[in-house]
This record gives sequence, C-alpha cells and structure tokens, in this order.
Amino acid sequence: MNWLTRLLGNSADTATLDAALRDALAKWEALPAPDPGTAHFETRYVVINTEATGLDLDKDRLLAVAAIAIDREQLSPHDSFHAAVEPDAAAALTSLLAFAGKGPVVVFNASFNRSLLERALDEHLGITPDWTWLDLHWLLPALYDEHIDRPARLADWMKAFGIETFQRHHALGDAWAIAQLMLAAQARARALGHNTPRTLADLEHSRRQLRRHG
Amino acid sequence: MLVGASSDFLKRFSPFNRMEPEALGFLSERAVLAFHARGSEILTPEMGQPTHFHIVQRGKVQARQTGPASVTDYAAMTLGPGECFPIGAISAQRPSTNAYVAVEDSFVFQLPAEDFLKLMQMSPVFHVFCTQYIASLLNQSRQQLQSTFAQRAAEQQTMTTPLGQLVKKAPIFVTPDSSLRAALEKMSEMRIGCMVVTDSEQKPLGILTQSDLLPRVVLPGIDLQRPIGDVMTRTPHVMSASDSAYDAALEMATHGVRHLLVVDSEGRLKGVVSERDLFTLQRIGLRQIRSSIEGADDLDALQRASRDIRQLALNLIAQGIGAEQLTQFISALNDALTCRIIDLARARHDLYGIDYAWLAFGSEGRHEQTLSSDQDNGIIYVRPEGADPTELKNRLLACAKEVNENLAACGFPLCKGNIMASNPDLCLTLDEWKGRFGDWIREPDPQALLNATIFFDYRVLCGNERLGDQLRAWLNRTAKANANFLRMMASNALQVAPPLGRIRDFVVDDDGTIDLKKSGARLFVDVARILALRTEVASSSTVQRLRQAGNKMGIASEEIAALIDGFHFIQLLRLRSQHLDTEHDAPGDNRVNPDTLNELDRRILKEAFRQARKLQLRLRLDYQL
Repeated sequence: MNWLTRLLGNSADTATLDAALRDALAKWEALPAPDPGTAHFETRYVVINTEATGLDLDKDRLLAVAAIAIDREQLSPHDSFHAAVEPDAAAALTSLLAFAGKGPVVVFNASFNRSLLERALDEHLGITPDWTWLDLHWLLPALYDEHIDRPARLADWMKAFGIETFQRHHALGDAWAIAQLMLAAQARARALGHNTPRTLADLEHSRRQLRRHG
Repeated sequence: MLVGASSDFLKRFSPFNRMEPEALGFLSERAVLAFHARGSEILTPEMGQPTHFHIVQRGKVQARQTGPASVTDYAAMTLGPGECFPIGAISAQRPSTNAYVAVEDSFVFQLPAEDFLKLMQMSPVFHVFCTQYIASLLNQSRQQLQSTFAQRAAEQQTMTTPLGQLVKKAPIFVTPDSSLRAALEKMSEMRIGCMVVTDSEQKPLGILTQSDLLPRVVLPGIDLQRPIGDVMTRTPHVMSASDSAYDAALEMATHGVRHLLVVDSEGRLKGVVSERDLFTLQRIGLRQIRSSIEGADDLDALQRASRDIRQLALNLIAQGIGAEQLTQFISALNDALTCRIIDLARARHDLYGIDYAWLAFGSEGRHEQTLSSDQDNGIIYVRPEGADPTELKNRLLACAKEVNENLAACGFPLCKGNIMASNPDLCLTLDEWKGRFGDWIREPDPQALLNATIFFDYRVLCGNERLGDQLRAWLNRTAKANANFLRMMASNALQVAPPLGRIRDFVVDDDGTIDLKKSGARLFVDVARILALRTEVASSSTVQRLRQAGNKMGIASEEIAALIDGFHFIQLLRLRSQHLDTEHDAPGDNRVNPDTLNELDRRILKEAFRQARKLQLRLRLDYQL
C-alpha cells in the first residue's frame, strides 16, 4: 500500500482483494450499527487483543489478533477468534471484522492496541471501523477504585481479581484475561447505573478528561 | 483454543479430572463464564427450575437453605473453585432448595440444563459423581431428622444432660409468708413431693419436702395458719441449669437429699430435679432394658420394659441411628420381650416334650416392626408319635392365648384379623403349614395372594429354628417351580403405584396426605418378597432380600444401594410420624403430608418413590405385565 491509495480512499484498496474477502467485507459493511443505548444484557461486546513484535508503535508490526465475545454478559469460550497476521493479513483482518461485527469493542490499553489495529485495518483493508471503543485501562480504575485507583498494567488487574490465563503475552491468552475483567466491569457498571455501552464510553471519557486536568 | 482454557481449569478439580476426554471437551465447549458481584443471587428457589448448572471458577458462593425447616448445621455451605451446584435440583428438574449467593466477587461457569443432562449420559464418571451427591442428601436428611429429636430425647439421654433440659414442668413455689395450709393444699393438688419457697424475685429461700412434714409439722402439732417460712429448710441445695445430671446425682448422694433446686444464671428458680428423675435417666439403656427384660418375672416388669423400649427408640433416633439399625434394635428388644413372655407363660402350661417354634409374621417377621405394629404370630410344631392331636393342640393354644394377651398388655395390640398363635388355624404342624402354603401357591386367588404377603414373611422368634428352616427351604423350592404363582404375585404387587404425580410432585389422598405404608414401604416389600422367592433367598427382611436377590440377579450394587436407601428413608419417615403421634397420644399411623416436610425431605421422598417405581418397572419387565 502506498500513501496515495490511502489518500484516495478505500475503494482502490478493496479492489485488489479477492472476491471472497470482498464479499465478506461487503457483508460487514452492510451490518447495521448497534444501538449504543442497549443494556449490557442485550449487547454483544467483543474483546479484541493484539500481539505485536514489540511495544513501539513506530517500529513494531502486528503479529496476531484475537477476540472473544461477551454476549449478554456471558463469556463463551466457543465464541472466540484468533488469527496470525502472516501470511495473509487481509484475510486475517477480514475475519476479525466478521467476528467483531459493528462492535462495541473492548480493549485493554487503546493507545497501543487500537492504534496498531486501526493502522493495520487501514493498511490492508482500507477500513477504519466506526466502533465504539471501550478501554478497560481507564474503565477499571473508574469502576473498581477500591482495588487500584489509577490506570495500571494488565498484570496488576489480573492480580487484583485473582484472574489467571493459560498463556500471558499471547493475543488470545491475554484476551481471555481481559474478557474476564470485562465481565467484572460490566457487573460493577450495572450496579453503578452505567447500563449501556454509551454510558460506559461516557464514563471512560470523563475519566480521561479528569486525568488530563487533574 | 479457548476451550482449552476452560478444560485446563476444570482438570484441576474432581470429578472433572477423571472425566472422559470427550465429555470434558463437551463441557468445556458449552460452559460459558459469568460474573457475579459480591452479594448477588445466582440461583434461588423462586427462580424456578434451574436453567443452568454452575461451576465456580473463582470466588465464593454460599448455599443457604431457605424455608421454615432449615437446620443449623446445614444452613449454610460455602462453595469454592471447582465446586458445582445445584446437582439435585437440576437432575430432578425442579426448583433449587437452596439460595446460592456470591459472597465474594465470583466467576462462575454455567452449563445449560439440557447439556448437563447430556453430560450425565455421556460421562459415566460424572454420572456417578452426581448420583453419589444425591445419595449424600439422604444422609443430610437423616441428620436433620436427628436434630429434630435431639432436643426431646436429650431429656432422658444420658447423665451428661444439663439439668436445664431435665426440668420439664414450670416451677411451683410460694412466698415465705404463705400459710402452711395453702402450701400443703397446693402440693396435694399439683401432686408434688416438695414445695419451694422463694422471694418476690423467684429466688429460692427454702424448701419443704413431704418427709419434713412428719417431724416438723404433724408431730409438733404446728398450726397450719403459720407461715411456711417458719418450718422450711433454709438455704436449700441449689444447682445451676448448666450442671449435668451426674453433678446432681453426686450432690444428692453427698448431702443425702432427694430434691435439688435448679436455678438460671440470675439465681431464679427454674424447676426441681428429684432423685426419681435421675433414676429414670439411668434406667433406659440398651443393656439395662435387655437385662431388665431377662430378669422380669411378672407382667408389671415387662410393661415397664416395653415402655422403656419405646423411649429408647426415641433416644436412638436422636443419637443418629439409621432406620435399619433402629428397627433391628426395636425388633431385637421386642423379640427378647416376647420370648420372656413366652417363658413366663410356659411355666404355667405344660409343653414338655413338644418340639415347636413361635413364628412372627408380617412386619415383625421382616424385622421391620415399627412402634404401632399389631401382633402377627403363629406356632409351628411337630406332633410326637402317639400323642393325642386335639389335646396337644389345646395345650399349645391355651399357652398361646396367654402370650397373646400379655403381649397386648405390653403394648402390642391384638391383631384385628386374628393372625395370632391362639387362632387354631395358625397353630399348625410343619406338614400342615406346608399344606396351607401349597394351597395358596397352587390356587392363587386374591385371598391366597394376600395371605402369602403376610405369612411368607415368617421367621422363628423363639423355639426350634430348624422347623422354620425346613419350611423355608420347602417354600422357596415350591414357589420357584410355580411360575404362574410368582407372576400373579407380581401382578398383585404392581396394583399400587408410587404416588408420584405428573404435574404435582405427589399424588395425595383427599386429606392431603400419603400413606407411607400402603403407597411407600409396601411397594419395596412386595417386590423384594417376589425376588427372594425367585432367587431362593432365605431371609425375610426386605433389605436383605433386596441385597441378596439383587446380587444374584446381577443388579449393580449402587443400584441396590439406592433402592435400599429409598426404602430406609420411607421407614424413617414412618417412625418419625409414629413418634410424633405417640407424643400426642394419638394412635400411630403412617400418614405424612408432604407439604409439612421440608424441601430436602420432600425431594428425597420423591427420589425414594422413584426408586420404588424403578423396582416395579423391573418386575413389570420380568413378568411382562
């Protein structure tokens, strides 16, 4: 991909993809946007996690993507996704889109995960999904300040909840832990009156603001 | 891959670590994870039939028993990682008895109910796990039953009983300024051996006992208008309600007194314990009763022993004995009592040279006598060469009549159907019995079948056991060879179905109760009898018949155990209702209103009836009925 095609829009990009992927993308495009005002117990959240060669956004490349759905407040191991970006990044990312639908999506540490993923999606598919992004990095301290009252590392939150995973620093392994944290976050959010993806997004937003000005 | 995350976790816990790989895979694939914040209810009885089976992944979930019948030691149970719920409710597809509440923030796997049932079918390991769990409910129920009785039975239980529990009546007392006449009138009216004198706060000041009256009141010619305070014994012997009966006995022995005042923690009179109260306490033990029976030489002593047997039965339930042992104890003591009655009667009747045995029929014959059983008995004898048949039989009958009457005096009601040894039809020689039994087997009309259910459960209670053995061996051979008779017996046994409803849990009679004898215990008893005849098992006890016949027939031992548990549970409920009734002086019956049972008992009763149904189904298939 070069800067020109990116500038010209995504039509040029998708044209180079094979028919099956184009079909899948068209299907994804056609999905209705979810109502951010529906309650948790009616919402399918998709926890997305990435695995990269390192933590430097400028230098490091995406290696794998993983996703786990939390559908109506239940985490089903069956409803999960994992794909290596090599050798076919477009196919891997298209499958991810198909799995995630129109969101809302949940990540831990959006500044890295979201940036990395959006860049890859744009690069390979020319798409920037219009997802509602929720970042547990910000939401967890807002919801469970009795455990940790400031943004902290995933390992710290796992320790706070006694959460384990089968493989750390693996896209799906960490996603499994993040998804469990999301279950806990939903329950607390519901108790505090944050019943929908929108109110969670608002909570996260105000938290970021507070941090910026505080 | 994520399925592996669940199975990795599950594999750390029993029974999942032993589960077949494909079953574990099935479970891991279908179980979803949910979060339950601290304090939230995961499952309650009000939620109705559970839709999911739960396995705690992390955190703590407390199972709390709900409803009015909860009992402390089972009231709350905490479940941690790897533990699951509700096994009983979801297997039985009925609402949970417990409320399950997260007491910590908890992650819990949940498996849809239909997948749970599939998993039971798929995995023998899981099936055994669940079955054993349900079986353990039976034990819990037994414990509940025990604690119900503990309180009342403790009154007579042991010498370690606190005095507070021994005091039955509200204290009777007067103040020191009351006239002697008023005090003595009250003693006479209340039939008490002493009068306690207290101050206005009910704290004891003195005591006046019957034995004080002669030296202190009558002989000195004291005016009965004088206050009781003038003649009472001051500073009476006082014991705390928490002191034991043993302490009291020691105090009485040391100070030579017959009455002790029991006071509460604030020194207020709670009651009086007499020497006689303590004596009663020591008298009722298995060994004591046994030796008092063997040493009894008149009807009075035997009547006392009979009352003690009932009291002991109550105590034994409280001490945690199961239905099987309990009925064995009752039956052993009743046997001893009956033998003693026969011995005493024999001393007055000349039975010299007659080879005979006293037979017990029906429930007594099966060692399943409850406390309200009528007497069902007979005699088997051998006529010596050259004896006059009529004269011989009359001698036996006269003796039997006395035994029957004395048994009735000792609390074994005369049999309304005249199934008693004093009935000439039931005092027969070995050959006559064979003829009688043979007639029933050859021509099994309804009356013959009914007779078979009573008389085939005979056993020798005392006398020559070999006579009983000979009859049994002959009976088993004859019945087994007569397939039509067994088939008719089977058809008869299937006339009454377990009272399980399609919509409601139980089918009840018009008064809302279930007859535990007719629609419960008898279902097991009838099938067991047929299986025993078919497999030539000699025992007359239902449990032994099921066990021995079941083994011979190759029924899995867990299956047999489940059947026996079901039978025991029904027997236990029967004994319970009889005890409770005895307390109200109502005739003991076998009825239970399922609505008055607690949830757990109800569930187990239902399971017990299911076992009866299973047993009947086996018979139905065997005889294609």
